[in-house]
Amino acid sequence: MARLQLKNVNKRWGSFVGVDNFDLDIADQEFLVLLGPSGCGKSTTMRMIAGLEDVTEGEIWLGDRMVNNLEPKDRDISMVFQSYGLYPNLSVYENIRFPLRVRKVPKEKHRDMVMKAIEMVELQDFMDRRPAELSGGQRQRVALGRAIVRKPTVFLMDEPLSNLDAKLRVSTRAQIKNLQSKLKTTTVYVTHDQIEAMTLADRVVVMNAGKIQQVGTPTEIYDTPANTFVASFIGSPAMNLVEGKLEKGVFQGDGIHVEGLPAGPSGNVTLGFRAEDAEIVEDQGQIAAPMYSIELLGEASMITWRLGGALVSIKTNKEYRAEIGDIVHARIPASICHLFDTASGERIDDR
Amino acid sequence: MSSLAKRKPPSLVMLSTVFVLFWLVVAAFPFLWTMWGSFKVEGDFFSRADWMNAITGPVTQRQHGSAFTLAGYEGAWIQQEFWRSVVNTAIVTLFVVIISLTLGTLGGYALARSGFKYTFWLLMAALVFRAMPHVTLVSGYLLPFFQLNIWGFLPTTIIVLVAINQPFTLWMLHSFFLSIPKDLDEAAMVDGCTRFQAFRLAIIPVMWPGVITTGLFSFLLAYNDFTVTSMLLTQENATMIPKINSFLGSTQEEGKVMYAVAAVVSAIVPLFALILFFQRQIVSGLTAGAVKG
Repeated sequence: MARLQLKNVNKRWGSFVGVDNFDLDIADQEFLVLLGPSGCGKSTTMRMIAGLEDVTEGEIWLGDRMVNNLEPKDRDISMVFQSYGLYPNLSVYENIRFPLRVRKVPKEKHRDMVMKAIEMVELQDFMDRRPAELSGGQRQRVALGRAIVRKPTVFLMDEPLSNLDAKLRVSTRAQIKNLQSKLKTTTVYVTHDQIEAMTLADRVVVMNAGKIQQVGTPTEIYDTPANTFVASFIGSPAMNLVEGKLEKGVFQGDGIHVEGLPAGPSGNVTLGFRAEDAEIVEDQGQIAAPMYSIELLGEASMITWRLGGALVSIKTNKEYRAEIGDIVHARIPASICHLFDTASGERIDDR
Repeated sequence: MSSLAKRKPPSLVMLSTVFVLFWLVVAAFPFLWTMWGSFKVEGDFFSRADWMNAITGPVTQRQHGSAFTLAGYEGAWIQQEFWRSVVNTAIVTLFVVIISLTLGTLGGYALARSGFKYTFWLLMAALVFRAMPHVTLVSGYLLPFFQLNIWGFLPTTIIVLVAINQPFTLWMLHSFFLSIPKDLDEAAMVDGCTRFQAFRLAIIPVMWPGVITTGLFSFLLAYNDFTVTSMLLTQENATMIPKINSFLGSTQEEGKVMYAVAAVVSAIVPLFALILFFQRQIVSGLTAGAVKG
């Protein structure tokens, strides 16, 4: 049970900046997800919290202790690795018991603690097997069991689901969410999958190129992305982004014309809106352009135009039919639009 | 289907069988010949009259009343005190293996896990020292050893053999450690191990085939060494190989060369036993680095 604070944490290798001024306060019992593309510094941040990587600058506080110079073993954390990191020579039971053994927990308590962890991750039938005799999902559950067996103050999970197949990922995801709410342990979870981030997190930290792009609840991140990077990273499909000119609340781009936008900003802007917010209309639409493609998704159809350089997509009902090249109209009310500065990518309307 | 695929022309089967048998005879003959001959006297084994005497042993029959005799072994082990050399060899090999493996596992692990660029140059330097002929090292050591008055003792030889052997053990163990994912150490450290505990409790248990294979190679180097041991040890501290050589060098007295033959056989037998005993670990150790799990 602890609050975890990162105060202006930096990581540099020579002139290469891995993590740039990471500053965040993680509340007790919070489920925090670090989200970003590969190489954005999210794993490095987590490894610094774990003590597997040195901090170049800044401080990491765990509860009321500054842990910068503590060994991983002295930080009272536990970690789940992407490739599981199980001990191949030990049985499932012994793998989960390992942390108790090294930390010199009295022997008579071992059996109870291990059995409790094994029950939580539902591995009762596999106790005596070696990791090599388990499936990927079972191995990851062993790693989870090993992480929870000694009730650490912070859980760290480094892309724990990315080695599993899609179906297993969904069920294991639910299991992790459930475990965390039962154990009420502060958790930091690293992933590049935005769906994992949205479903699991209390708060999401979106990172790119070593920098924090936005911190917020999944809803905030989805509804008001702070910049074009977050807008294009969150949601599936990602937010449509069209470049154009804004003048007196009127946006004019290639094949798109939107009125009634905030009057304040002007000049080169990027207009963003989500595929599920807009709708196809017969005529008089803000978009009026030849259709680029139509894809059936199952529950809906996706209509795509090519506006300027960008592909713009809108979801419509699955019965909709049109030929590629037909002029198709779409209604884009000003209320669903997001405005970003084209040069900096930052949001310029004040939502 | 499989029987069709397995069916080979009889001529090919014949040819390959004959070749394998031929090869087996060529490879095994010297050993078998020596082993058989070690129970004969010199007059038979080195007979000028008829080479068949080495097999039938008429002179042995005449001298000892039987076609087989333990005279060679008796002379070597008791009269010439070959057992001393056996003890010396045991001491030398034991310590060479223990020291090489201790330094090799620790060093190999450090090199495999270090992120610094100099590890590459350290390994390159090790390779250069490994490539040098052993005798260059010995000739450099001889004078200082004389002056320090430590020439002729077993510990001196052990140090030199370890020095010769270490580059190889470092290389071999380094590549074994590289094949073990880093996650394993990190998981162990997060679970509560110090770096050294992670090495001892999480890595070494996975490393046994590698350690045994490397240990066996170190053992063979120390066991079979002639250059170093013959130049650095006094007669009474001699290990088996220089001792056998000294038997061969004194043929003026009849029967002494048979001591050498008996001693050679005595030196070979433990090797067979060892390899047979460890063969599974050796094979898995030699192939462990090849495939990633």
